[in-house]
Amino acid sequence: MVSKIYTWEQLFSRRQFIKGSAAAAALGVAALSGLWDLGLGYGADSTVQSTANQGIRYVPSICEQCVWRCGIVARVEDGVVRKLEGNPVHPQNLGRLCPRGNAGIETLYSPDRIKFPLIRAGERGSGLWRRASWDEALSYTAEQMKQIKDKYGAKAMMFNSTDNLSQPFFEILFKAYGSPNYGTQRSLCFNAMTTGFLYTYGVAQPGTDYRNCNYMIFSGRNLAEGISNIETQEMIDMVARGAKVIVLDPRFSKTAAKAEWLPIRPGTDLAFFLALLNVVVKEKLYNQAFVQRYTQGFDDLVKEVVRYTPEWAEGQTEIPATTIRRIAREFAAAAPAAIAHPNWRTSNFINSFQSERAIAVLNALVGNWAQPGGLIPDQSVNTAQLGTIAHPTFPPAQGIRLDGVPWLYPMVPFAFGVIQTMRDNILTGKPYQARGWLISRQNPVLSIPERQKTIDALMKLDFVAVIDIQANDTAYYADVILPESSYLERYDGLIPIGNKIFIRQPAIDPLYDTKSSLMIYKELADRLGLGDFLPYKDEKDLLTQQLQPFGVGLEELEQKGYYEVANFKVDHSKDFAFQTTSGKIEISSSVMAQMGKKAVPTWDEPPKPAKGQFYLLTGKTAQHSQMFTQNNRWLLEVFPENKAWIHTSAAQQLGVTNDDELIVASEVGKIRIKAYVTEGIRPDCVFMVGGFGHISKGLKAAYGRGASDSALHKALTDPISGSSALSQTFVTVSKA
Amino acid sequence: MAVKMGFVIITSRCIDCDACMVACRAENQAPLGYSRNWVTNSGIKGRFPKVKQSFEPGNCMHCDSPSCVAVCPTGASYKRSDGIVLVEDAKCVGCKYCVEACPYDARFLNPNTGKADKCTLCIQRLEQGLQPACVQTCLGKARQAGDLNDPDSVVAKLLDLYPVRRLLTDAGTGPNIYYIDVPVSEIPEGK
Repeated sequence: MVSKIYTWEQLFSRRQFIKGSAAAAALGVAALSGLWDLGLGYGADSTVQSTANQGIRYVPSICEQCVWRCGIVARVEDGVVRKLEGNPVHPQNLGRLCPRGNAGIETLYSPDRIKFPLIRAGERGSGLWRRASWDEALSYTAEQMKQIKDKYGAKAMMFNSTDNLSQPFFEILFKAYGSPNYGTQRSLCFNAMTTGFLYTYGVAQPGTDYRNCNYMIFSGRNLAEGISNIETQEMIDMVARGAKVIVLDPRFSKTAAKAEWLPIRPGTDLAFFLALLNVVVKEKLYNQAFVQRYTQGFDDLVKEVVRYTPEWAEGQTEIPATTIRRIAREFAAAAPAAIAHPNWRTSNFINSFQSERAIAVLNALVGNWAQPGGLIPDQSVNTAQLGTIAHPTFPPAQGIRLDGVPWLYPMVPFAFGVIQTMRDNILTGKPYQARGWLISRQNPVLSIPERQKTIDALMKLDFVAVIDIQANDTAYYADVILPESSYLERYDGLIPIGNKIFIRQPAIDPLYDTKSSLMIYKELADRLGLGDFLPYKDEKDLLTQQLQPFGVGLEELEQKGYYEVANFKVDHSKDFAFQTTSGKIEISSSVMAQMGKKAVPTWDEPPKPAKGQFYLLTGKTAQHSQMFTQNNRWLLEVFPENKAWIHTSAAQQLGVTNDDELIVASEVGKIRIKAYVTEGIRPDCVFMVGGFGHISKGLKAAYGRGASDSALHKALTDPISGSSALSQTFVTVSKA
Repeated sequence: MAVKMGFVIITSRCIDCDACMVACRAENQAPLGYSRNWVTNSGIKGRFPKVKQSFEPGNCMHCDSPSCVAVCPTGASYKRSDGIVLVEDAKCVGCKYCVEACPYDARFLNPNTGKADKCTLCIQRLEQGLQPACVQTCLGKARQAGDLNDPDSVVAKLLDLYPVRRLLTDAGTGPNIYYIDVPVSEIPEGK
């Protein structure tokens, strides 16, 4: 059978689907015509006041417009999802949704969804595709993966995924296959924080008690624009009740607009926190009893920080010494209801691991651990445990990892990885040549620094398969695209939060010929002869197995959306059992000492831009999630494109006014972007929101909007945490 | 006292995330390119580093003496006894007089229907005992709506507790969105 070959643009035009695909004709009117033509809307007309409550279903589920996992209730009218609302019982959002969550309907009904499996029908990157059946697409993928394994060993195949509810099952597939090469988003995000806290407290990501906190220092968490729903709500409440909030950011963020803004010089957050340590130590503002009982290495710290005076830090940070001294005193006085926030991203310099260590130690000195308004210990012990899925023992992973863990990065935990180095080593062919890449729900082309290298790496491989709901930029370079059902059409693995188990379940049947990732992984495993590792026949079977420890059936869970574990006991007995080498909070890190490095937080001079260069800063906006939502037209209504923030004085020198086109160039790339001229940024910085500048023509709404930071970012890696030093890229700016 | 529906909006609790705008779009299906509500951003004011920025959500003010109703030649625009200002599609001829007359720019001509379109305070939700979509979703609880005349309502309690301002009062339409700019540590319990 000869199937029709589509160009990328034809593939994503609606007309093509209506004319060319019999399946599409059966898909239902809503998806094809757009919701707006249905006339079901509530006009401003009072005579259309109420809809009869017939044919309306309310489906509780979990959002996936970002990775935060808010509870939602979908209102489904005659098979069409009409409204998503927050689920009031869900602890991640307590009934409220951010703009992205509210826009999930547009993600579902986007005309640019991938509607059936595709196999490349021209050169890679040519944009020529043919429709394939699931059987063909999965068999082809499995054959390619088998060939790579037979010829080059399992290590030549790379697996990538990002934070999502079915990620554990992708990881089972990866481990069953036997490759050591797994890439996540972590090293592009918060490796510095997680390693910094892991090596201080034995906890990678402690919580923060906003509700009782009276003094908060943010130096890499922008909750007004990087929304983590309930944390954002709590931050707003915290500000409203008069808690002091300090924001270190070279740019005046919307969080800074609610706080005391300190426009710190990029890369010098470390100096700021070392100076806080200096004052807290020198003025004996620390919690002596806590330090004595729960920490090790205080004396070494005293010796180290003596040189980090606020006056010294002023020279580095450009924050007045008097301000630093005042904040140190205020912070200590507010303790233990005071937090130097662990952040997610940080200043994004090579020295960010040291910054995070200094932050971790500052919290320890004031004794806020497990105190109201302080840091919250690891909650995994107080989370209900799902039923495990019995599977055979994994084969030993063959070979060393391409991402340099641990042979290049001995201190980076295996689970975190260093994705940018993995990419680099596809190109170097060292320590061996990678051949294949299976990528699920990730878009390395737009996420990893030095975009062109990622494209070159994709072009170099023998085989690339992508699993996604839309034609992301990486999918453009794939050989096979396995289309996933959207989060409103599928099940995923269950998610326990505290004493409750939550479910993501379909609000409607899939609109197109798509599958859940759970079934894509399973059916791929079957064809690879690894079916025993994912022992379920369908999603419901798997979820039933996960529910096995609890006295609840799947049907009841589906109806209610969650299950509350009866008599669940919260255990705080291990709050102070620190999982570090010494069993204490390590002001002086045993692991660092073992590695022959300075064991207490220490100054590490960040590089500066040369004359005529700017620091390049990137960050989030409340209306988009990383590089995933820029094709969502409802979100484009409220944030249509990213612009380059530039200070008024710098703009004047360049002869630039608002919306003039700029050329921003780094060592590795060049972009065109509109200017946003403002007093809200340091004159030595340029800022842009990440995630724009899509190059896939399959993202019709996003294509050509704004510019990509990954085209400019240099791949610089902190050798300790593996963190990508995104802000250590310097750029020149000129008028286009 | 008669029911008088309106909004109290706490600007100090707004982070300009625009969730209210997207929720309204989902609930009321405004066509792309148009919106029934908004969040105005003051822009970054002042000189580096002494700058500030504020955010002001808004929508139809459901005025006491709505100019949109006054200019409507067909009687399509009208004010209900509970204060909500609406458009009756069957009578609307799409002349746009009301769109021009509104001092708050709160109306638009819906290209799909050819009718004037605006915030209805989500009457379809009010009838089911739900809050308007923008109020329901707001992360900062910045948007509140209800009966301004009912002393047991959240909005009346807020009016009682905090200093308020209204927009363009010179226009004389008697707007029913009251803005609170000072911090509001807790939203009072109420209807």
